[in-house]
Amino acid sequence: MEVGRLPLSASQRGKLISAGYTTLASLSSISPSDLARDLKVPESEAFEMLKVAKLGCGLEQPDKHTAIVNGAQTAWDILNEEKLLPRITTSCADLDKILGGGINCKEVTEIGGVPGIGKTQLGIQLAVNVQIPVDCGGLGGKAVYIDTEGSFMVERTLQIAEASVVNWSSYSELLWKESQACRVEIQPTDILEKIYYFRICTSTEQIALINYLDQFISEHKDVKIVIIDSVTFHFRQDFEDFALRNRLLGGMALKLMNLGKKYNLAVVIFNQVTTKCTEGSFQLSLALGDSWSHCCTNRVILYWNGDERNAYIDKSPSLRSASASFSVTSGGIRNSASKHKRIRVM
Amino acid sequence: MNPSNLLPTQNLTMGCPVLDRCLGGGIPCNSLTELVAESSCGKTQFCLQLTLFAQLPPSHGGLSASSLYLHTEFPFPFRRLRHLSHSFRSSHANLILSNPREDVYVHAVHDAHHLLDIMPKIECFVASRKTRLPVRLIVIDSIAALFRSEFGNNPLDLKRRSFLFFEISGMLKLLARKYSLAVVVMNQVVDFMGEVEGISGMRVGNLSSLRSSGRRVCPALGLAWSRCVNSRLFLFRNEEIVGRENDGLEDDLFRQTRRRLDVVFAPHLPPSSCEFVITKQGVFGVDR
Repeated sequence: MEVGRLPLSASQRGKLISAGYTTLASLSSISPSDLARDLKVPESEAFEMLKVAKLGCGLEQPDKHTAIVNGAQTAWDILNEEKLLPRITTSCADLDKILGGGINCKEVTEIGGVPGIGKTQLGIQLAVNVQIPVDCGGLGGKAVYIDTEGSFMVERTLQIAEASVVNWSSYSELLWKESQACRVEIQPTDILEKIYYFRICTSTEQIALINYLDQFISEHKDVKIVIIDSVTFHFRQDFEDFALRNRLLGGMALKLMNLGKKYNLAVVIFNQVTTKCTEGSFQLSLALGDSWSHCCTNRVILYWNGDERNAYIDKSPSLRSASASFSVTSGGIRNSASKHKRIRVM
Repeated sequence: MNPSNLLPTQNLTMGCPVLDRCLGGGIPCNSLTELVAESSCGKTQFCLQLTLFAQLPPSHGGLSASSLYLHTEFPFPFRRLRHLSHSFRSSHANLILSNPREDVYVHAVHDAHHLLDIMPKIECFVASRKTRLPVRLIVIDSIAALFRSEFGNNPLDLKRRSFLFFEISGMLKLLARKYSLAVVVMNQVVDFMGEVEGISGMRVGNLSSLRSSGRRVCPALGLAWSRCVNSRLFLFRNEEIVGRENDGLEDDLFRQTRRRLDVVFAPHLPPSSCEFVITKQGVFGVDR
């Protein structure tokens, strides 16, 4: 919690902030005499300020568990917070099941696959699904879509948005049969307006945009998902020096993770597959190398199995390895129509 | 940096309503479309037709634009362009007042490095207003020919080649974005040796296998190039036996060439397919 929100007088607040005490965590372990010396106020006043700060701190944590190290959170607090956050659905029940309910906020999910498998379609579906109204069980947020390849098509987004609005209306009617006030009144063009679309054409633009995202999202607090499609395109050409490329990519990944944690949003990164030459044979693997593969929290690989599109959880700290099939229809991502057993656990 | 407005993309008509329906309105601007086919399937006919139809006003599906045709395979089909432009002009007499061939600019390209070298010149050409109509269409015929001679099959050469793919397609997409161009690139096919059934990493797009003239093929230049294009269209031809005539001792088989256009992958199109024919007047889709 910020010091600026404490019920202190403006001059006291100003003194605290100019002395460098901007958060409650910084005030929680200081003694009144030290504070008095820093702020050049009488000790009684410093004592009063600390009492107000502790009260403010106390109101934030209704349960009895308090942090032992000030500024940190207990795992219990984190678990409670995570349970409160709804996940972003992919509109395909099988895919949601293997993802544990959908794409999680505060995490970086990497999704990779061959061209034509449906990565952009999945990205557009997520950008629309993040806007599911809170009444229907969604996040009601906005999306930032960063397009590096030029594959985002407005007509397709409109098509998916129209199908989604129909779905949400019928769902909310099922849920709230009596109350008319919860009717979904969203138009497909409203959905388009809530997607902030950035098109970048070079690797320097990509780095600059990721640096700028912090400021952008602090101004648009209801952004709940950042989709980057795809992160590899520009980094596969300009760089002869792989060490530099890895450093830049690592820095970018770190910024994205911090962004996710700070503003409580989901980061979805699309990656490409490439052929890796190992011992004379060619194998398919995700691009950008091994050092990049450590940067993401979850990793999903999309692949073809005969005529079906499948998704496979390759790496995740909390989800088990499983694969599920999905299909791309005119309305977006949906369950696969085949009769085979859909979810296979590895 | 500001988020850009989501505006509908302009489409360039193919010149035939059946083909346009298959392609969701035509070739989209601001993106790189690839046409894959083996030789003599009709790639060049498609592209020549596009260069003419680009000159129509947007109300008729064109872009009111001139085109830049970069060709690598000699010679450029001037005679065919002349035939097509005659019939084009006569069918659109009220819209086209001058010679349509004056708005098609042709340039020869020898190899990949040459293409990279002339990119700044291309940008100046597109940016300048010296042409009668602004340039909104760039056709490259064909991209495979640029790469096939100087790169061997070892990993080092392939890596060098991949770098060039990303550089060239990056620059083309930058141009497409900056000046709102439609870029059409033609590619050839190679024979495909390998497993297609089961879990395969090599499948790209909607079709599990591409077949042309009875053999299994895949687009040239590999997986790296597949990533560089936004949409891929596959043209193929098959000979079909449509009738038999018993003429004494032998059977005479009537063969007909069937040509089809398939959407392999495109971000805005469902998997669709269309049959077409090539006539003196151009390429036309067939509703069957």
